[in-house]
Amino acid sequence: MSCIIEARKLCKVYLRGREEIHALKNVDFSIEAGEFVSIIGPSGSGKTALLNLLGCLDTPSSGSLRLNGTEIAGQKERDLVRLRRENIGFVFQQFYLMPTLTARENIELPLLFSKKNRSAKRIDEVLQMVGLADRGDHLPGQLSGGEMQRVAIGRALINDPKIVLADEPTGNLDSATSEMIFGLFSELKKRGLTLVVVTHNLDLARRAEKMYTLRDGRIVGCVERASLDGA
Amino acid sequence: MNFFSLAAKNLQRRKGRTMLTVLGVAIAISVLFSLLALNSGYEKELNKEVNSLGVHILAVPKGCPYEAASLIIHGGVIPKYLSDSDYRNVSTIADVELATPMLMHQFMKKDEKTGVSTPHIIYGINMEETRKLKPWWAVEGRFFSDNETGVMLVGRGLADKENLSVGQVLPVGPKKENFTIVGILDRTGDQDDQFHFFPLKEAQRVFNKQGLITTIAVRVRDVSRIAAVSQEMELIPDIQVVTMTQIMGTIMNLAGSARSLLLTVIAIALIISAFGIINTLLMSVNERTREFGMMKAIGASGLDIARTVLAETVFITLLGGILGTVAAVVGSSIIESFVKGMLPYSPGGSLIFYSPELVGFSLGFSILLGLLCGIYPAFKSSRLTPMEAIRGGVE
Repeated sequence: MSCIIEARKLCKVYLRGREEIHALKNVDFSIEAGEFVSIIGPSGSGKTALLNLLGCLDTPSSGSLRLNGTEIAGQKERDLVRLRRENIGFVFQQFYLMPTLTARENIELPLLFSKKNRSAKRIDEVLQMVGLADRGDHLPGQLSGGEMQRVAIGRALINDPKIVLADEPTGNLDSATSEMIFGLFSELKKRGLTLVVVTHNLDLARRAEKMYTLRDGRIVGCVERASLDGA
Repeated sequence: MNFFSLAAKNLQRRKGRTMLTVLGVAIAISVLFSLLALNSGYEKELNKEVNSLGVHILAVPKGCPYEAASLIIHGGVIPKYLSDSDYRNVSTIADVELATPMLMHQFMKKDEKTGVSTPHIIYGINMEETRKLKPWWAVEGRFFSDNETGVMLVGRGLADKENLSVGQVLPVGPKKENFTIVGILDRTGDQDDQFHFFPLKEAQRVFNKQGLITTIAVRVRDVSRIAAVSQEMELIPDIQVVTMTQIMGTIMNLAGSARSLLLTVIAIALIISAFGIINTLLMSVNERTREFGMMKAIGASGLDIARTVLAETVFITLLGGILGTVAAVVGSSIIESFVKGMLPYSPGGSLIFYSPELVGFSLGFSILLGLLCGIYPAFKSSRLTPMEAIRGGVE
């Protein structure tokens, strides 16, 4: 299988006042297309920086990051936006749904930015896929936490991304609902999507095919599902 | 879904705040719109009023000429007179096409029902010449001829107000002589609607002003000769000359200073409302930092976000503009009476004049206001770095 994400000596340095913060230090890893990967790590370990880079929201300070064959380092903002639209679907801990838009309109929102035309049928399909076929006209306030996260996942899928990045997707959900969301992720994996999930929840992280541990800006561990199953 | 409908839905989140901002814009725009409407209406009415005199030059007794002229236009009495010989001198000047003497007199008439006295103005005129100056005059009944006695015309406005009709007899003057209304002037839309018109000789006789006149109205054969004719008229000792262009200019100047005061007030109101809008937007931009971060993450460019914020601002100001314009049209009579009290000279007709261009201008202006106010908040929101915003600080 080919690598869809490939990081080599990836570094990210932020300035906070005069202080340099080395969020990522010489990180090497690769993720294959269609893989389901989880990343765990304590606060301050560099997860946000990594998500920023993987999501094409920022460029590396040094090193290389290739996304679907394209080098991210040195890209202009315009090209980053395009790469993001074409490759990435984002799912957040806080869902970040627009409260005045219905579930259907929230899912439609990325189309406004990507200027793509999608038929109502495609939106129905996505609603169906995330199990909200009958909730399309509800406002986020009328939905449960799990339903809101499913709307957010639908929103991440509408542009047909190759990679779905999830940032603590179950952080605000109870365990039964978290279970459902992970079930949904497994569904997506079966459809050929690459999934990268950042989480604190070790139980759920272990259900990915590969689990990276991040600490102080370095990858300190990588466990494959095969060995997890064996344990 | 487009940026505008997204903006509209975003604004629904804080209905109270949105409405207050809209209201602020509406007030500023409605004042602006009224003032501009008033401005064009004022000039229009003033022009109409001065033109309806059909006169290029007025000869008045020496004294304050502008006060005198304004009294004459608006109806009023100056306690100074010119003589018949002045009139004869003026009419012999070359290039004078027509000169006609007028005597103005004012008397108080008591309303029998309410007991309130109101001033009435009588114009003693030379009918034949006046009709040449004012060819648009039409009458219900008939005009009088210059040698008739005991007859008068009244303006339509006056007739309606006092319930006068052709054939009615009114007692006039110190001796309460009977005068018959032989005609009622058709509405002219200017000051003539409010006057009584007598044959000049009768007016002079009844009010004991034999040989005296208040003013001489002059029409010049060629407009370019106005200056030359008025110079020649100045040579007659008793006479002070006022040209209509001077009167217009003076009145416009006086009105101009009142207007610039109003404009200042409006400018301040607009600036205050602009800061209010900017403040509201910055607040809502700050509140939604995370949301903008999310929008970037799901594929929005900085420009897309700036566009959303701008659409929200323009939505607010355009709504305010529409509301303000409607309010100004609906409330025009209130504004008009307020402004009439403030201006030094007000023509009789309606001052506020709305044109489609003016409506277009105020709506265009409100959009511009929105764009201007939205630039900074839009710029600020487009510069956000997404993940820090979303996860709350650098890890």
